[in-house]
Amino acid sequence: METKTGKTAKYLRDKQGVPEHVKDELKEFNRIKRAITEALKTEDLTIAQLSEQLNMSKPDVTYYVMSLVKYGVLAVGEIDDMDEYYTYKLVK
Amino acid sequence: MSSENKTIKFDALIVGAGIAGGEAALNLANSGYKVLLVEKERSIGGKMILLSKVFPTLDCSACITTPKVSEIARHKNITIFTESEVTDISKTADNDFIAHITKKPRYVHVEDCTACQLCEKACPVSVRDQYQYGLIGRKAAFIPFSIANPKAAAIDIENCTLCGACEKVCPTSCIDFTMETEYFELHAKTVIMASGFSLFDPLEIPRYGYERYKNVITSMQMEREIAPTRPYNTILRPGDGKVPDKIAYVLCVGSRDQTVGNPICSQICCMYSIKQAQLLMGALPMADVTIYYINIRSFGKGFEEFYQQAKGMGVNFVKGKVGKISELENGNLILRYEDISEGVVKEAEHDMVVLSVGAKSNPSVANIFQEGRLKFDPYNFIAQSDLMGSPSKTSIEGVFVAGTATGPMDIPDSILSAGSASSDAISYLIQHETV
Repeated sequence: METKTGKTAKYLRDKQGVPEHVKDELKEFNRIKRAITEALKTEDLTIAQLSEQLNMSKPDVTYYVMSLVKYGVLAVGEIDDMDEYYTYKLVK
Repeated sequence: MSSENKTIKFDALIVGAGIAGGEAALNLANSGYKVLLVEKERSIGGKMILLSKVFPTLDCSACITTPKVSEIARHKNITIFTESEVTDISKTADNDFIAHITKKPRYVHVEDCTACQLCEKACPVSVRDQYQYGLIGRKAAFIPFSIANPKAAAIDIENCTLCGACEKVCPTSCIDFTMETEYFELHAKTVIMASGFSLFDPLEIPRYGYERYKNVITSMQMEREIAPTRPYNTILRPGDGKVPDKIAYVLCVGSRDQTVGNPICSQICCMYSIKQAQLLMGALPMADVTIYYINIRSFGKGFEEFYQQAKGMGVNFVKGKVGKISELENGNLILRYEDISEGVVKEAEHDMVVLSVGAKSNPSVANIFQEGRLKFDPYNFIAQSDLMGSPSKTSIEGVFVAGTATGPMDIPDSILSAGSASSDAISYLIQHETV
């Protein structure tokens, strides 16, 4: 095998390519990630507030915010006075 | 090319590396037999390794499973194939089974991976995490879950953009996209089927609104929410991130229900729901938890006491069959149900609903044996040829069955069943030893 260790992704990319839907999904994730992080630059927000600002459904915002918390991009902030909704903030 | 079959020989083939398959493998291996354990997932440990706690003791599931899977993985007489499937098995003689196995590439050399997760951090892709039942994302280069075994990265090639970022950061250069599918021809003297069960898909009952209403989740999703390796920081509604305070359980979803073709009791749903209710009462002390049931079947050792304990903690039990769930604008859910004790139809509002889904047979093993000689019961679980005398025997001599591949059962019964299957397999191996 001519392929160098540590540079084998190119081998498979040349061999089978990358499906368009995979590229599209990456673009979509990056777009949403950018929108969420932009919105949180000025203040900490709840899922409902983010949903309103970004014009995205609450379930979708929940999914992306929780994923970004897992990836270390966002962190969980305070819970409201009714102990119902957390705010989310950028990891500085 | 790796499309040629590699011939391998073992004393025993075990299909499925859940708790039953793992237990059977250990018993055989400790008796000196060489075992090949074949698992379709990226980790061994089956469904048990993903549970929060077990009933009725409320012991930590991971604390029981992790040492067991480590012992299995380290045993010199056990070889494990993950991401592998047995495509067919045929019996050629009393102690010769030929099986064909397909082993998918992981694109990571497991022995070199240190599970540092640098590849995961570098990967730009995010897709739904099947090990968190879709509640959260994961990367395309990822460690399946924190207590997975083998604890090594894997590449989800179907969602990978092949950008190479993971390779660039890997300190041991263990990522290898040149890996290909491997094909094996296995000769084994005996076979144990420990292929487990599948969970009922609640999309088959549209009136419960699963997926349409985001605050209707399955019991496995709730299991992940209450596990220490949970997807969220606490228990939250997937619909809007609210901490729920009025949670309903709907029992017998897809079991004891002729309309979905599964009239049998799943045996575990009552108790795992009661377990989750108790854990929720601990995690959310202000929450109301209501369980809608047809009958509570607390038949096992300590089960009735466990049920009574839940009642004592304040879990509300309503004998009622839920007919329909609808959603309010705020994401709360209206349950329309027949209150069986009063004989009237009622409605109740909850802010989260858990569907306690039943157990079904694993369809992937239906045609695994050549000539269809392996018999199944009317619900497609593997039939036991001598249920009362030797419950692990199947319709094929030398093929034994362990755990929930025979029908729904709880963890202690699965382990007992695995003990029986391995004992019968050892007996068969001794009787058919070639001189």
